Amino acid sequence: MSPEIAQNDILYHVSLNARPTESIRQYNVALTICGNHAIKVFMTTAPTAAPRISIKDVALTRGARPVLRGLSLAVHAGEVYALLGGNGAGKSTTVAALLGFLKPDAGQILVADIDPVENAERARREIAYLPENVALYDQLSAYENISYFMALSGKEPSRDAMDAALDDAGLQPEARALRIGGFSKGMRQKVAIAMAVLRDVPVLLLDEPTSGLDPRATADFNALVTRLKARGTAILMVTHDLLGAADCADRIGFLAAGQIVEEVVPSKGMDVLALHHRYGEVAAA
Amino acid sequence: MTGLLGHELRLLLRQRIAVPTLVLVLFLSAAAVWAGMAEVARQHDIIARIKPQQVEDVNAVRSWASKDGDAGNAAYYTFHATWDAPSPLAFAALGQRDVAPFVLRVRALALESQINEGENYNAEMALPGRFDWAFVLTYLAPLFLIVLLHDLKSGEREAGRLDFLRVSAINERGLWARRIGLRVGLIAGGLILPLIVGGVLSGAAAADLLLLSAMVLLYLLFWTGLCLLLSRRGMGSVANAASLAGSWLTLTLILPALALLAVNGAFPVRQGVELTLAQREAVHSGWDKPKAQTMEAFFRHHPEWRGTKPVEGGFHWKWYFAFQHLGDLSVADQVRAYRHGLEARDLWTERLAFVLPAIGTQYLAHRIARTDLTAQLAYQDRIRAFHKRLRSFYYPYIFNDVPFGEDDFGRAPLWLEDAEGR
Repeated sequence: MSPEIAQNDILYHVSLNARPTESIRQYNVALTICGNHAIKVFMTTAPTAAPRISIKDVALTRGARPVLRGLSLAVHAGEVYALLGGNGAGKSTTVAALLGFLKPDAGQILVADIDPVENAERARREIAYLPENVALYDQLSAYENISYFMALSGKEPSRDAMDAALDDAGLQPEARALRIGGFSKGMRQKVAIAMAVLRDVPVLLLDEPTSGLDPRATADFNALVTRLKARGTAILMVTHDLLGAADCADRIGFLAAGQIVEEVVPSKGMDVLALHHRYGEVAAA
Repeated sequence: MTGLLGHELRLLLRQRIAVPTLVLVLFLSAAAVWAGMAEVARQHDIIARIKPQQVEDVNAVRSWASKDGDAGNAAYYTFHATWDAPSPLAFAALGQRDVAPFVLRVRALALESQINEGENYNAEMALPGRFDWAFVLTYLAPLFLIVLLHDLKSGEREAGRLDFLRVSAINERGLWARRIGLRVGLIAGGLILPLIVGGVLSGAAAADLLLLSAMVLLYLLFWTGLCLLLSRRGMGSVANAASLAGSWLTLTLILPALALLAVNGAFPVRQGVELTLAQREAVHSGWDKPKAQTMEAFFRHHPEWRGTKPVEGGFHWKWYFAFQHLGDLSVADQVRAYRHGLEARDLWTERLAFVLPAIGTQYLAHRIARTDLTAQLAYQDRIRAFHKRLRSFYYPYIFNDVPFGEDDFGRAPLWLEDAEGR
């Protein structure tokens, strides 16, 4: 018997505490058949599950300057967290610490339950990272770049899989076999996004992802972030773009002087202009 | 792993500087091997031509000297060819072979001047040096390595790719190891491949080729280590390139030159040509000394001829050959000192080879190719042994006044191809 769900089937949606490093799709199972009803149980991570990104009371000094002062935040599976802040607020330092490049002086950072400094290579298996300026190898085509970076991360995607990811990212098919030396910033970013999609990891770090993109590309990007979120990816987005954050983030944290000073949950009908003013005040402070 | 290496290879070969660099390494290495083989072929050709000419020369002397049967004429006018055939690997490191004679025609007269006057034949060639494979390895290979390694990490940082690359690589050490290994491997291949081809064509021993190949890898590893060490400071690619170029200049040119200057200063040796002059003066003074005094001095060294018929009259070959021989003996201490000086310099060069890789590489290459000072001195020793055989052959005729007939020319010692000429 097919476990596919037919019209009028009774659906039970069960939430379990899943291990945070495991993907939501691994829990899609058909259990049994009861009479004429196919019963399919969707096991998803629950809001109470351990966060995929966990930053607790982190202090970090660069040179003589304290950059992070007791920063705490958590991002769960299937959640987008936008971290906003002015220049020097500590956004890039936060990303660098999550990537394991900087060791906190105090506090704890966990990515998918792994300390990224102590176990950098294990942690990097769980992270996809999109830098502000995507610099790939100009002498390689989009396909070749993807193939190379995927190989570095231990994956060998087929051409079909690459095409699917590039479709997802929105890169036009005729550009994919061309060397990316002539690509615009947006096109390069789409190639990097395709890589993030193919990596299929539980954590995605985005550093100023929409900076320099035109409004259409920004909208496309936000849509893609929403799709990744729906796949259960925990996404931390460091950005200046309040409108973009309000469009796709579940929570927005305002970072100032190395700590979250305010956190808002965007909602429909939210006064974005008021939020913009508030952001300005925080950034100025 | 093969897949990753393939990716890295494609990436490297698509870099603007990599392909010209690797092609240049291969071209220069092949050109050096070709030039070395051409020089070795020229030397083989000279040695091959000397043999029939030697026969022709002896026949010319025989045609007139056998008529009066005087052994002195035969011993004085007959030149005997000696040669030092190049080893199969000489093409790779010509060493002393372009400044020291590899063919020497000697007579039974005083020997030291015959050996040492040859040193000024090609003295000017020592100045510019020889373009051979060892030169490409010692001086040029580090530059090519610097070109490919100076921006290994800094280039990625400057392109804004480093963080993305590090995060993408689940084995970051493996990533850098592959990149370094590939670059070093390709340069080593460009150096070793022509060497192997040349070695096979020349009939070199596989063990010697392996030894030279291992030396290439060791030398490149030293420079790789230095490149990585200097690049660790997190400076930019241009700064890395400048500091590495400075290191190259210091380690391959300045320090070796200063060290060898110090060695030469610490162990002064008289020039070979000075020995030649000293010996000639000693020989020529023989004309002015009383014959009895000369013969007595000679008999003290060669008592076996004391009982022979005394020298009478104005000229006799036994007196002439006696003062020729005494000329050699008069500079024996200087010859010994000259040789000890050269050997001491060589010993200190060998010691320097342990601390200065450029000297070490050249020294070892010349040693393996048997073109070093040791090989040059060994050839001189073989000439001395041959000269002794010549004297042992002619002296009984001269001192016992035995007529030297046409057939006796055929009995004269020949330079032994295997034992003496290699």
